[in-house]
Amino acid sequence: MGVACVCQVPVAEGKSVQQTVDLLHKKLEQLGAVKQGSFCVDCETYHATGNVSGQPSKLLYVMHNSETPLSCLALFEGGPCLVADANFDVLMVKLKSHFQNAKGHKVECRGSRFRYCDFLIKVGTVTMSSSARGISVEVEYCPCVVPGDCWNLMKEFMQSFLGTSVPELPSVFAAKPEGLFAPADCVDTVTQYLELFNKLRKLQIPGSNVR
Amino acid sequence: MEAPPVTVMPVTGGTINMMEYLLQGSVLDQALDSLLHRLRGLCDSMEPETFTDHELVYLLKGQQGNPFILRARRSLSHPNTPWHLRYLGQPEVGDKSRHALVRNCVDVATSHNLPEFLNEMGFRMDHEFVATGHMFRKGAMKIVVSKLSRILVPGNTENTERLSLSCLVELSVLAPAGQDTVSEDMRSLAEQLKPLLHLEKIDPSKQRH
Repeated sequence: MGVACVCQVPVAEGKSVQQTVDLLHKKLEQLGAVKQGSFCVDCETYHATGNVSGQPSKLLYVMHNSETPLSCLALFEGGPCLVADANFDVLMVKLKSHFQNAKGHKVECRGSRFRYCDFLIKVGTVTMSSSARGISVEVEYCPCVVPGDCWNLMKEFMQSFLGTSVPELPSVFAAKPEGLFAPADCVDTVTQYLELFNKLRKLQIPGSNVR
Repeated sequence: MEAPPVTVMPVTGGTINMMEYLLQGSVLDQALDSLLHRLRGLCDSMEPETFTDHELVYLLKGQQGNPFILRARRSLSHPNTPWHLRYLGQPEVGDKSRHALVRNCVDVATSHNLPEFLNEMGFRMDHEFVATGHMFRKGAMKIVVSKLSRILVPGNTENTERLSLSCLVELSVLAPAGQDTVSEDMRSLAEQLKPLLHLEKIDPSKQRH
């Protein structure tokens, strides 16, 4: 596990989501990256029932990342993140009278995984209720665990295939004191996916350009 | 770095419901050594495992019905191991001739911020205690002999006071639903521990005030 950055890539002008994803794959292959399987990150939303009316109900997100298939991450936005094993999903079923699953809010990000030297690149299509809402790109620099030390290198690498869509330092790292390292449990990566999913959820128009 | 398999995670339906089959009893401290000696002879492995655990019991009060109970347990002797979160369902009412208490059980291993996370979910800690003792195994059966202590100052596990001069003994098996032959093996082990220890089916709902 290294330092990972998740960003959104806008759909190319006049092209569909799938075509943009194919373009990115082509660029990566031209660079010399090798396709290595697929990945999936998904997110279920639960909201607490039984709250005093008038108070907004707290949202609990339960996420899975195929990089850590035996784990399940449960988090409150801006709150604590629990790393648990796969049985946590069974526990949420038992808790269904206290935490309702907002089934229409399930978000999934699926796509291909590429390996380029020390980088791991994952290009995914974010779907919500079977409609494609956007494209995500996760770039992980595996040998380093201190975000501040490798951010410039990651940015330069991302520029080589993302062009102008290169993001700023993710807020999960900006918020950490200088020199603190990214833990090996995917919490920071998954938090970034959650931010991306929530951003895409708020967009009225789905990913493809409508002119 | 090979890609891990991408699996479709089934959340409802397809997951196996695990059941806990339980028999409980107690022995006075004076009889503890004889019990440990007998268990060493009857059970697998040369030396039993010792443990010192801190358990916190959390309640979530809903709009109606009984509060939802979750048990969070951590090891004080191995502080880096994950926390253990456990849900125990209502005992199955059914076959009166069934020898053990049967209830649905969900066990989850979690990271160390479990208490903070449970508070965020709305759970409130009802009580906590420290359990220390020995654990034996015989096939799929687990026998736990524990001394329970009350925690005098919340959160301080150093300062404790024994709840009683007895040790709690629990014989349990975790098995998928429907495997009733399990309780036969439990009954035969329980027979071999008599008259030193009487293990019986104790319904927890009858204990509540």
